[in-house]
Amino acid sequence: MGRLERLPWRTIILVVLAVLILATIAIGAFRTLTEGAYSADAWRDFIILGLAQGAIYALVALGYTLVYGILRMINFAHGEVFMFGAFASYFFSAAYAESGFLDREPLLSLTILLVVAMATSAGVAMLLERVAYRPLRGAPRLVPLITAIGASLFLANTARGFFGSSPRGYRKPEVLEGSWTFLGGDVPKIRVVVLLTAALAVVALSLFVARTKTGRSMRAVAEDSEIASLMGVHVDGVIVTTFAIGGLLAGIAGVLYSMTFEQVNFFMGFQIGIAAFTAAVLGGIGSIAGAAIGGLSLGLLQALGPSLILTGYHIPSPFQLREAFTFLVLVLVLIFRPGGILGTGEAEKV
Amino acid sequence: MGPVGVRSAIAAGLIGFVGSLYLALVGLTERFADLELIGEQITLGRLLIVLPPLITGFVVSRPRVVAGERRVASLGQASAAGAFAGGVAGAVFGAAVAFAEWFGVDRIREVFITVSPTLIEFLTFEQGVAVGFVILTVLGLIAGGVGGALKAASSRVRRPIVVGASVTVLLGLLQRIIPVAMRQLDLDPSVLYLPSAGLTVPAAIVVFALAAGANVLWTRSGQQVRARFRATASEQPIVRTAVLLAILAIASTVPLLVGTVISEVLGTVMVFMLLGLGLNIVVGYAGLLDLGYVAFFAFGAYALALLTGATLNTTTGAAAPAFSLDLSFYLSVWIVAALAAGVGVLIGAPVLRLRGDYLAIVTLGLGEIVSILTQSRWLQPVVGGPQGMRGVTDAAIGDISFRPPQNFYYLALAFVMLAVFVSWRLSSSRVGRAWNAMREDEQIADAMGISTTKYKLLAFAMGGAIGAIGGALFAVKIGSLTPASFQILVSITALAVVVLGGLGSIPGVVVGALVLIGLPGLLREFEEYRQLIYGGTLVAIMVLRPQGLIPNVRRTRELHEEEVEQDAWARSAAQREEPYATVVVGDTVDEEERST
Amino acid sequence: MSDAIPLLELRNVAKHFGGLYALSGLDMQVNEGEIVSVIGPNGAGKSTMFNVVTGLYEPDDGNVLFKGQSVVGLAPNQITRLGIARTFQTVHLFPNMTVLENAMVGQHCRSRSGVFGAIVRPPRTKREEERIRERAREALEFFGRRLAGYRQDQPAFALSYANRRRLEMARAIATEPILISLDEPTAGMNPRETLELRDHIVRMRDERGLTVLLIEHDMRVVKGVSDRVIALDYGRKIAEGTYEEVANNPQVIEAYLGTKAAG
Repeated sequence: MGRLERLPWRTIILVVLAVLILATIAIGAFRTLTEGAYSADAWRDFIILGLAQGAIYALVALGYTLVYGILRMINFAHGEVFMFGAFASYFFSAAYAESGFLDREPLLSLTILLVVAMATSAGVAMLLERVAYRPLRGAPRLVPLITAIGASLFLANTARGFFGSSPRGYRKPEVLEGSWTFLGGDVPKIRVVVLLTAALAVVALSLFVARTKTGRSMRAVAEDSEIASLMGVHVDGVIVTTFAIGGLLAGIAGVLYSMTFEQVNFFMGFQIGIAAFTAAVLGGIGSIAGAAIGGLSLGLLQALGPSLILTGYHIPSPFQLREAFTFLVLVLVLIFRPGGILGTGEAEKV
Repeated sequence: MGPVGVRSAIAAGLIGFVGSLYLALVGLTERFADLELIGEQITLGRLLIVLPPLITGFVVSRPRVVAGERRVASLGQASAAGAFAGGVAGAVFGAAVAFAEWFGVDRIREVFITVSPTLIEFLTFEQGVAVGFVILTVLGLIAGGVGGALKAASSRVRRPIVVGASVTVLLGLLQRIIPVAMRQLDLDPSVLYLPSAGLTVPAAIVVFALAAGANVLWTRSGQQVRARFRATASEQPIVRTAVLLAILAIASTVPLLVGTVISEVLGTVMVFMLLGLGLNIVVGYAGLLDLGYVAFFAFGAYALALLTGATLNTTTGAAAPAFSLDLSFYLSVWIVAALAAGVGVLIGAPVLRLRGDYLAIVTLGLGEIVSILTQSRWLQPVVGGPQGMRGVTDAAIGDISFRPPQNFYYLALAFVMLAVFVSWRLSSSRVGRAWNAMREDEQIADAMGISTTKYKLLAFAMGGAIGAIGGALFAVKIGSLTPASFQILVSITALAVVVLGGLGSIPGVVVGALVLIGLPGLLREFEEYRQLIYGGTLVAIMVLRPQGLIPNVRRTRELHEEEVEQDAWARSAAQREEPYATVVVGDTVDEEERST
Repeated sequence: MSDAIPLLELRNVAKHFGGLYALSGLDMQVNEGEIVSVIGPNGAGKSTMFNVVTGLYEPDDGNVLFKGQSVVGLAPNQITRLGIARTFQTVHLFPNMTVLENAMVGQHCRSRSGVFGAIVRPPRTKREEERIRERAREALEFFGRRLAGYRQDQPAFALSYANRRRLEMARAIATEPILISLDEPTAGMNPRETLELRDHIVRMRDERGLTVLLIEHDMRVVKGVSDRVIALDYGRKIAEGTYEEVANNPQVIEAYLGTKAAG
């Protein structure tokens, strides 16, 4: 029951808007393609880049989706959870790189990096829940929202104070340098690793939620926390677990992201956070499959959109507008299909 | 230690230690190491060392419910428990410092860049690790004990002490503004302040005594004074006018007293006051969380620049923008406000159907789009891209330019007063009532005949217009625009200003801007911790005191919705049973204030 | 049924939530000046019918006519402005606004001053504000001393339960409706308060000329006030007529007993 006005002009405006947008996209894409601004190889690279980037979004988006499903709250600070995981693994990776351990035992050191990042992110997420969100259970909606945005700023600047404001270079093991030849083209190894790891994590999470007792409790709380608590589910425990799981996934994403872009910095959480949230909404917030689909779609949109559409209009430096493009996608999704690709639309009870 | 168990005291002590450690690692302790507040020994950095154990001692002595029975620690028990917990905090912190020294500062520094030999020296009071450990432990003991005693003391004792100490520290922090003002008034600042440092020790004692005494008087008869003032003011409106005029008179002499540098800071404070007032309409009145408020700010600044004939900055010099007019500031500012209201409606229309949290993130996105566009090459011909614009009008009337900080202050003051007036009138009108109803329950407001769409758009339009005026003034103030001034931080700062003072509270916005913009502006040491402080403020206020420092009465009730009924119950119980009353009502400062 | 256009008419209205039909092909009418009670077991679709009439839900099929005009697709606030006011099954006030302000919100749709009026406060706005206050007081005074005096300046949450219900009705009356829809107004009230409310419902029509559409479980109230009773079950009308006719209708008895047996 979210609708306020049912005047037909609203529908008319939306339809006109949709037609205009589609026309803009179609004309831009047509002109870009006919002008041949990019080669086929370039397009393939865009797609692979988009998928790998999207896989990372998906992992972070899962954190938003899980928490939203349970608390109906956007954890703005989730991007910072991701950032802390990335930073923690950075220190290990830097030490291992120096001692040569990273290249000697790539699999073992990667595992350690992942564990460190996951543990840190999960820890930060649980701390955040305990300190900032738990005291606000049941408060008017505005309150946790403002808290979350404050927590995001606070955590990002804590990292700035702790670790400094200059970015630090992140080294990946030598075995992941270079590319594999695949489908008649070169695919950077790291992208393949990112995609596989993310896929594995999503599958593991789905199984966890579907098969385990904890997963069942999570679904019960998501359905109706009051009833669940009456049925003997320890709601606070489930909420902490949810934050922790979101943190674990964000930690994985942190390592993958840092290895892809080969650096970490204190503000990396913000952009990723927004993009991942967009992905969660795009796929249908509250749904695990939605987060995965949304992440991949957004990754592709970001990689292909600006070059495909904007180039056609001869807009200089289309990639400068990539973030703006993300936000535009978010706004449009919320206007035209607030339930996302998989969602049925959020309904609020009277 | 009475009701406080050893284990919980140790746990509290460890949390206090984490607090000290955090302050040290994030760099605040060292940053303020030499900021002398009182005398030469009490620096802000040292205050940050004792504050965590003090708070630990305070919190650990809170009354506890054991097996359904409420147990209040006596003064002695609370001091002991507080001292113990504070001592634990201090000792563990001291041990951590010793560990850092032993482990190797350089090795830790590879992770935590703030850990340096200077920091260690400061934390050990330049006495070496062993002595430092002892000092930290003892300081922790004392601070914790004081904290515990404060908690156990009756509010009649606690309040004057807390107020006195806060005022003293505040005056110490204002060491760069008050001496200047005193010199302007031909007073000798050395009565109060050491040369370019904090308060002198005798001055601090006097200030403390005065502030504490004033608080005692106010607690004793403040209610009556206030009530009498209200009564007189409602009978004779001239009293209220006189008070307003007096405030105005004070406000208009300030820049003459404080000189250029501080007037410059005050100008920024005024700009953010405007932003706060505008955002307050959107968030505080209508209950819509707008995280992209910077969009209006940027719009106001750039639109004013374009309307008044500013030029683009390029590498080869100035260039005319693709679109430009040459109007006067006093015409343009209204055009800008009207356009911004229109933009508010345009932005709002598609997204207002969305629920609160979606709205927040969409506005965040729109704000980001605007700041990305200001620096894009795409819009460079219009707004100058990364190089920005220059030559914005100085809003001169005749020969008087409003660019100099002391003059700008008056221009800004005029607009702030206007915005205050508008906010005040709106809040007590049919429109304000509709916003209120909508904020409390959107669906019911709709069912009662309020077009929520219309009133949301109205809030966006009003907030947008005021925010854009803030942007326009900002453009006049700095004369040239670069995208760096229009980042998301502006949105969050404005939000923090509104939240700190209290959502929906006009005096709250004024105080919020003074504290959050004024203090960091006066103490350049704060600069790099601004964002940290804003973020921390948002979280702390929402968790501890969601109604803000100077609450709007209604919002206080609303933000404590859960507790309100219990409070009402507790108070009615208090009237029935006297002994219970002292316990419940005397519990925390919050409850006392809520009941007033 | 008279030949005149009924004040409110539902034609073949259907509303479903997922696979669950809350209303399936409901036809009913309310004539001007009547007090019509709608009864039925829990889940019969009574509240859904209210929500469809007042615009909170859009029907999936069928039409809702008010004074002969379709109101389907209108927003709740527009329907309120046309003259349908309502209360809710669970009380929904603006808890932190004062009692008087709550009622003044009801007057919103009968007044018009906007931002300009708020800021400049010309005489017209002052007069209007005075009128809003006056009418809101009047609506509160419909309940006698219950909502009068010092209570008007108390926040709504401070009221007793029964007074909250009364305030909700006063707020609905303040919208100056033609049709007032009351969703279980006596729920949670004690017998004395229920009796008092029964008189109030009759007075709503007799003194203020309102048409009343009432959902009620308390059969003493239904019996005491209704000109006509409509019984719903599974989203359909199963009986209609005077209280006695409906109460003795075998289908109605079965509907109630059936649910009782099942529950």
